[in-house]
Amino acid sequence: MEKHEQIRLFKERAEAVQTSVTDVTGLQQAFLYAIEVTKNQGGSTIAAPALGPEERSQLAELCRQAEITLLTENIRDHIGKIQTGLTLGDWGVAETATLVLDSTSEDVRIATMLSETHIAVLPRSRIKSDAMELESELSELMRSAPRYLAFISGASRTADIERVLTIGVHGPKELHLLILDEGQEQSSPVHDVQKAKRKPRRR
Amino acid sequence: MITTPSDLKTYKNDLKRALQNQFLGATLDNFATAFKASRTKAFEGIDLDTLIAEIAQGKDEAIPYLEELFAAFKARAEAVGIKVHIARTAFEANSIIADIARANQVKKIVKGKSMTAEETFLNDHLEKEGFIVTETDLGEWIIQMRHEGPSHMVMPAIHLSRKEVAELFTKVTGQVQDPNDINGMVKVARRELRQVFLEADMGVTGANFAIAETGTIGLVTNEGNGRLVTTLPRVHVALVGFDKLVPDLKSALRILKALPRNATGQLISTYVTWITGPTPCTSSPDGRKEMHIVFLDNGRLALARDPLFSQALRCIRCGACANVCPIYKLVGGHNYGHVYIGAIGLILTYFYHGRENARAIVKACLNCQACKAVCPTGIDLPYLIKGVYRTILEVEGKTPVKNRLLKRVMGNRKLFHFLLRRAYLAQKPVAEGEYLRHLPFFFSSEHGFRTLPVVAKTPLRDMWERINPRLEKPRYRVALFGGCLVDFVYPEQALALVRFLKDHNVQLEYPMEQTCCGLPAMMMGENETARDVAVQNLKAIDPANYDYILTLCASCGSHLKENYPKLLGEEKGLGVKVEQLKAKLIDFSSFMINVLKVKPEMFRKSGKKVAYHAPCHLCRGLGVTREPRELIMVAGMEYCTATDEDVCCGFGGSFSVDFPEISAELLKRKLANAEATGAEVLVTDCPGCVLQLRGGMDQKSGRKMEVKHIAEIIGE
Repeated sequence: MEKHEQIRLFKERAEAVQTSVTDVTGLQQAFLYAIEVTKNQGGSTIAAPALGPEERSQLAELCRQAEITLLTENIRDHIGKIQTGLTLGDWGVAETATLVLDSTSEDVRIATMLSETHIAVLPRSRIKSDAMELESELSELMRSAPRYLAFISGASRTADIERVLTIGVHGPKELHLLILDEGQEQSSPVHDVQKAKRKPRRR
Repeated sequence: MITTPSDLKTYKNDLKRALQNQFLGATLDNFATAFKASRTKAFEGIDLDTLIAEIAQGKDEAIPYLEELFAAFKARAEAVGIKVHIARTAFEANSIIADIARANQVKKIVKGKSMTAEETFLNDHLEKEGFIVTETDLGEWIIQMRHEGPSHMVMPAIHLSRKEVAELFTKVTGQVQDPNDINGMVKVARRELRQVFLEADMGVTGANFAIAETGTIGLVTNEGNGRLVTTLPRVHVALVGFDKLVPDLKSALRILKALPRNATGQLISTYVTWITGPTPCTSSPDGRKEMHIVFLDNGRLALARDPLFSQALRCIRCGACANVCPIYKLVGGHNYGHVYIGAIGLILTYFYHGRENARAIVKACLNCQACKAVCPTGIDLPYLIKGVYRTILEVEGKTPVKNRLLKRVMGNRKLFHFLLRRAYLAQKPVAEGEYLRHLPFFFSSEHGFRTLPVVAKTPLRDMWERINPRLEKPRYRVALFGGCLVDFVYPEQALALVRFLKDHNVQLEYPMEQTCCGLPAMMMGENETARDVAVQNLKAIDPANYDYILTLCASCGSHLKENYPKLLGEEKGLGVKVEQLKAKLIDFSSFMINVLKVKPEMFRKSGKKVAYHAPCHLCRGLGVTREPRELIMVAGMEYCTATDEDVCCGFGGSFSVDFPEISAELLKRKLANAEATGAEVLVTDCPGCVLQLRGGMDQKSGRKMEVKHIAEIIGE
């Protein structure tokens, strides 16, 4: 499948599960997007636990200007106060509009489950046609434990009362995916989002 | 507490009560319709048959080696710090989990949805041991508070109305809940359960996959409660059936492609979580989660060695076999299973929860094959259900009278046919035209929902030589497999065929030694009798002598094609004949369309409006769906599509005698759907369905459609 065809499919499938998809050209744009969404929803806190040091300071500065509290660690202590969880996705799967996110860090899990909105940046180059294409990469990750991998495809949902679809039963009520086109990257010095991620702590 | 009746009388009373529940009937019917559409859409662009075959093959390759897969899983999991346990029984599993909780000074436990934990009645055990257990899946939480079991494997609270949930939540919160504000009620659950999550010391989940290669478990959920249960508490215990073991991620991903699509019509469930080893956990004293996996045997390893029933271990718990089951649709899961519900539930109940719980429910199968057609792992569910029924009969050594009679009569063709001829005389006092106006004494008033047809004065076999022309140079030589209903009740269906085939220069023959196909025997668990008559039929009709073997009865046809190989496939010499029979067997419409290649010019265009009922054994048993519809149109009639054309009419042979209330309700719906098309005639291609539909039409008030076998109407 051609890249643009994958992206088209990804967006189409995302819409079907109420995931909002937006193209961004740099991390700065993604950060500003997250700040705007947080403010629009009346929130004041962003949890972004898995950023590398440079990105963290970049986001911290933007948050400071916007008067948003940025949480980057000990997220458990802030449960109940997190408006937005912001992450850098590992892969995307077009067939099911899935975000693949290494959630081995507890902070990442809490930020993405106990926030009202989850926003993830997904590099365009890391979108695959289907999950089978990721089999060897995922198996490799599973071989280095501990490992907690998540496929996230939309916001938390239930249909347990009279089969009426209801969003946000436990986790976030919204999932926003920002597809990052690194080819047009200008504002951020880091071209590979994977490098922008903080190495998970090993215990 | 779940109670399931062990005797038919109590069970039938339960069914009657369920049939009165209008909310349930309407909900499950709407669900079935919506499910069908969303499932079809979800599988668009996927070669489903191939996917099913691959999953089945993968499962079948793993099932004989579950212990080896377990050993590999265990080695890997222990190497990364997971504590792995084996529980031979449900009680052992519950005790192990309670011990883990005690050893970790646990007080409060949160649970993700797990059918395996339902199987072991884990909550009851933990509560008795003094732990506070809270289900966190919304549906499970609701039924936990109502002290009920799940009525569906995927949607545990589907039997409840918003009103019932609102009443429950009003009680829980002390605040009045608006039943029409479902969003509001979900918010209540979010709020209440959030607090429970934060206070929990231990999380218990099941697992959809246990990947041997990496020691990984996979969890598939929509709500995300699975992620919270495995993240917030300091201890995580997964209770996993041995059947969830797969060799590698690839096998798991292949199943994942089918599971959500087949369960809820979603391309994927919202959260799929893969956990390998104890992850960081700040609520744990050493900063790392305490992780245990309990593998449950409870009969699975023995089941894996059973040549027939091991197939049941392929099940991936999608719940679809319930969704499409016409009986489930009427009575709901609490009356269609024990803990496990739906078609697979009828089977697993016997193995995991015992004969007492399985005895009555296992009889409630129409053999309509809707479950088999929808199963993503290709389990031959109706066949296994009959297998369980038969096993229970054998184990209990109590052969019902009707079985004994059937065995004696059917095993002897001459006696059988003598009795059928006698029936013509015996029925005389109550016969009126083509129907019996009073039911024979052994039927109760519940059987009055349809009128029974009279046995024909002259059976087909007795008039055959008279009516069947010899052709000089026929295009084809075709043997007619009549079946009891065409032979003794509806010979006119065959007369139409004879006329038609003569015009097309096809020599039809009726081998006189043929007898009942044996399906009724098999449905009653009498496999020996079924085998004996199968041999008799193969002796009567040597497939090598004919170009085709044609039948007007879809049930006979599908029995010959599907079950003869099971009954005789292994027998010396006969296996070959069965294969030849299968290759030459054809139904009326397929013969017309694909062999004779009939064209509209051959018919007088009547424009008659016709509705069609697709017999279970034709559309699923023989896989014929296009030809009858095409034939109706080619023959100059207008085909009016009806709702649920391929849903069972409720006949199911002896099923309609054992469960008249269910049969009547299915028939009522079928006739209403046919009438809604505005057609004049209802056409089908199985004499069993004709019996049911015509009998129901005769009993109902108001407009009555004509009911015809497709051969009759084409011949007109």
